[in-house]
Amino acid sequence: MAKKTYDLLFKLLLIGDSGVGKTCVLFRFSDDAFNTTFISTIGIDFKIKTVELQGKKIKLQIWDTAGQERFHTITTSYYRGAMGIMLVYDISNAKSFENISKWLRNIDEHANEDVERMLLGNKCDMEDKRVVPKAKGEQIAREHGIRFFETSAKANINIEKAFLTLAEDILRKTPVKEPNSENVDISSGGGVTGWKTKCCS
Amino acid sequence: MGDLHAGSPVPAFEKDPLELGVEDVYDISYVIGKDLLKINSGGQEVSELQFKIVRVLEMFEIMVSKYNLSLEELRMERDNLKGELDRVVAGSHETGNNIIGPDKLVIDMKDPNRPRFTMQELKEVLQERNQLKAQLLVAQEELQLYKSGVLPKPEPNMVEVNLGTPSSLDPQLSVPTKENKELHKEERTTIQKLFSFRRK
Repeated sequence: MAKKTYDLLFKLLLIGDSGVGKTCVLFRFSDDAFNTTFISTIGIDFKIKTVELQGKKIKLQIWDTAGQERFHTITTSYYRGAMGIMLVYDISNAKSFENISKWLRNIDEHANEDVERMLLGNKCDMEDKRVVPKAKGEQIAREHGIRFFETSAKANINIEKAFLTLAEDILRKTPVKEPNSENVDISSGGGVTGWKTKCCS
Repeated sequence: MGDLHAGSPVPAFEKDPLELGVEDVYDISYVIGKDLLKINSGGQEVSELQFKIVRVLEMFEIMVSKYNLSLEELRMERDNLKGELDRVVAGSHETGNNIIGPDKLVIDMKDPNRPRFTMQELKEVLQERNQLKAQLLVAQEELQLYKSGVLPKPEPNMVEVNLGTPSSLDPQLSVPTKENKELHKEERTTIQKLFSFRRK
C-alpha cells in the first residue's frame, strides 16, 4: 500500500546580493513569519513547502543561498539542480539592482539551460527609501524575458503569488506522467553528493 | 667649567673615547693649556708646539661633535621607526586582519574568532546539516501520517520476533536450519509489514 505525500518535487533556488531579503522572502512563504534581525545565511540552507496546483500536490524544496561573495563556490554548486531560480534585489539598494546582470551571468554559467527564472524587487513596503523605480525592474525583466514581481516579505506582498507562479511555470513544462517513486530526493545540485530515502525492502 | 676641575683629576681623561662630548674636549684643552702655560718660557719651539696642539685639539673637537651628531641622528631615526612600527602593529590589531599584498591575509593567532576552517570543510558540514534536516522532515512527515491513522500501526508482537531472535538478524550468515527458515520467513513478513507503506 503506497501512500504518497506529494505528486511532484520542484527544486527552487533563491539568489541575489547579501541583505536583499532572500531568507525573509523564503521564511514568509514557508512559515508565514517575518524577523527583522539580520542574520547572514551561512553558505546554503533550504526549506520545504508543499503546495497544491491543478489538483497536484507539489513539494517545493527551496534552497536559500548566501549572497556574500565568499560563499560563491558553495552556492554555485547548487544552481545545477534547480528547476526554478528567483533572483532577488532590494528596491532601496541600487547596487543590488546593478548586480542583476552579474547574477544572470551566474545562472547562465552554472544552472540548467531550461531553468525557469524570476526577478523579485523586494522590500517594496519601504516606499520612502526606494531608489529603484518599479519600471526599471519591469524593463530589465522584459529584456531578459523573465517574470517580475515587487515583493515585501515584511508586509507579505506578492510572496505567495511569486512562488506559486514560478511553480506553475515549471509545472507547465513538466511532462505529464505519474510519479513512479515516492522517494524524497533531496540531493543538491550538480557534483554534490545527495541522498535518497530508499525503500527498505 | 673651571669649577669642575678644581683640585681633582679631569674626568674627561678617564672616559671611554667613544663617550666623549664636546664639553670633555674643552675640559681637556683647558688642562693642557694650563700645563703649557707652566712650561712656556717664551721660546719659539714651545710656542710652535702650542700652536700644533691647539690645532689638534680643534680637530678633536670637530670629530667628537660630528660623531655625537651622527649618533643623535641615528637614535632619532631608530625611535621614529619604533614608533611607526608600534602604530602599524596596533592598527593591525584593531582591524583584526592585516592585508599584506593584494592576495594575502595575515591572521592573528590570538584571535579566538580567527578563520580556521577551509571552504571544503564548510561545504561538507553544510551538506551534512541539510541532509539531516531533510531526513528529519521526512521522518516528521511519516510520523504525522502514523498519527493521523493514514498508515497502519505495526502490531506490537511483530517487534517481539526481532527482539527474541538476535541470531537471525543477519539471515545471510546464519545456518539455514528448518527452524531458522521459518524464523526468516516470519521476520521478512514482519519487515514487509513494517515498511509496507514504502512499497509500491
